[in-house]
Amino acid sequence: MNIIEAKNIHREFGKDDLITHVLKGIDISIAEGEFVAIMGKSGAGKSTLMYQLSALDVPTEGEIIVDGQSIVPFNEKERTAFRLNTLGYVFQDYALVPDLSARENVMMPLLMKGMSWEAAKIKSDSSLDEVGLKDKYYNLPGELSGGEQQRVAVARALAGQPKIIFADEPTANLDSVSGQQIIDLLTCLHKQNGQTIVMVTHEEEYAKPCDRIFYMEDGLITDIKNRTQ
Amino acid sequence: MQSLRIGLLLGFRQIQRASFWTTSLIIFVMMLTFLNLIAVSGVLVGLIEGAERAVRESALGDVIVTAKDEEDRILETETFVRELGAYPEIKTYSIRYKGNGLLEANYKERRDLSGERDSAAVIVNGVDPVREDSMTNLSELLVEGEYLNPNEEGYILIGIYYIKEYAEQFGDIFDTVSNVHPGDTVRLTVGDISKEFIVKGIIESKVDEVNLATYIPEREFRRVFNRLDRNADQIVIRTNEPSQNLVVAEAMRDSGLDGFAKIQTFEESLPKFLIDIKYTFNLLGTLIGSIGIVVASITIFIIIFINALSRRRHIGILKGIGIERKAIEIAYVIQAAFYALSGSLLGALLTYGFLVPYFEKNPIQFPFSDGILSADPESTFYKFVVLFIITLIAGFIPAWLIAKQNTLNSILGRK
Repeated sequence: MNIIEAKNIHREFGKDDLITHVLKGIDISIAEGEFVAIMGKSGAGKSTLMYQLSALDVPTEGEIIVDGQSIVPFNEKERTAFRLNTLGYVFQDYALVPDLSARENVMMPLLMKGMSWEAAKIKSDSSLDEVGLKDKYYNLPGELSGGEQQRVAVARALAGQPKIIFADEPTANLDSVSGQQIIDLLTCLHKQNGQTIVMVTHEEEYAKPCDRIFYMEDGLITDIKNRTQ
Repeated sequence: MQSLRIGLLLGFRQIQRASFWTTSLIIFVMMLTFLNLIAVSGVLVGLIEGAERAVRESALGDVIVTAKDEEDRILETETFVRELGAYPEIKTYSIRYKGNGLLEANYKERRDLSGERDSAAVIVNGVDPVREDSMTNLSELLVEGEYLNPNEEGYILIGIYYIKEYAEQFGDIFDTVSNVHPGDTVRLTVGDISKEFIVKGIIESKVDEVNLATYIPEREFRRVFNRLDRNADQIVIRTNEPSQNLVVAEAMRDSGLDGFAKIQTFEESLPKFLIDIKYTFNLLGTLIGSIGIVVASITIFIIIFINALSRRRHIGILKGIGIERKAIEIAYVIQAAFYALSGSLLGALLTYGFLVPYFEKNPIQFPFSDGILSADPESTFYKFVVLFIITLIAGFIPAWLIAKQNTLNSILGRK
């Protein structure tokens, strides 16, 4: 069963004569529990595609159904609620709130979901334990290494047990060792929890554990590779 | 509810992690704004209140009894005074007989009988010196000479506005006698009756009513003014606590004493123009203080705007992970509230803990009053509420402007 189903996705930027056509009619389906990677060169449109699938942006044309809901007609408030309840994000540069400790960063979406302070704290601690940051609950992002910050971001994405996790080049700002650790972590968590993971990356190496790899070029999916192939 | 919780967490953490000196500076600005709002109108109103207080202390007391409108004097004054003993709230009182006379000086040295006499039309108060002193501390207002002795007769106290050497600083507006000092003989003429008095002392007060008065013992007054009925013109009463005056005045009216005289509290006796001036000064002070509020709200706006703008990406990310816009706006409103509350609290502490007691002990010396800092807690509270609300709005608007921006544009730093 597909958890993401997108048809004929177009995304244009600009006005009048200065229109840039970034996505040129993409069809993509991702099954529940799948770990997929979207790859391509810079400017291929992979991040833009991810933003459309993850309700961060609205396509100029096309239909997107995520977890059985058509997300294109959503208004801003509905999109925010949908992202909170269904999706998890790992951004390229960690994207943690600098004033909050690691624990509080992870607690944010949990509190927003209505979880009690105590329950959110317990859940947050267990998520941080899962990503190997048992002794870093109270550290501020500025007191953590890049790899550790990205782990906190992964813990934040996982804590609310979303159905789908979107990771936008999660290794881009990390050295190769830390980058590999993050990929291993995502792979491990995917195996444990069975969540759907959509990852944008431009490094073939990091896409190895994925079930499928979508290759993009000039706003179109040009190739799909299954792991088994 | 969730938004409020997250807003509170984000807001408090931002305050906690902010630079100590920046936060202190913002709070300092808010404190100055609060002080500006309270102190400017406080000093202006304090001028009038200081004058009122001086009149209350040196002239009129807490309850004022005068003749009824249709009468010349207080009827049955002796009966009235006997009744005063029934009110334990009354600390002291003074019975005053008032009349107008002509005060003449230097008449013994006068050589040219066709020339102008050195005389002034004066208000004469006939008082019991001891009671009057207990009521108004008149003996402490002497600038020359001594106070009246209750056992002596033939002595007079003269207010400075009747003495040329003191009054000439105000120009030629007062009717004066010149070169009069304690020990000099003056003549008081009322109708056909004239009597010589020795000047016992010269009195000076911030209250014009005292400066424009002469005082002689009541027995002599009655003789000079031929007032044999013993009905007085004014009885001024001091209560144990100033605030008891309404209770006393009402009780006196209820017991029927208002059949003999008009009974008013000090506040009731204030002329309307004085109340209007006070109101106008308060309004004027508030208007001047409002300029401070505008400056403070712009300061808060800029601070929150820069703060939110520098965190635009984080705001985008928070929205990206599903945090409601409301929560982010609340976080910044919390910050603005913190600055307003802290600044106002410090301002209030400074006002009530230091400034008000200081000016109480060291009044600002104005010619017509001892200026105090008037900071009525109720009006201070209302001003604080106005400052607080405006600060919240000044905090909300920039947060709203930044938080309403497109989520993805914020995350990617796009315009």
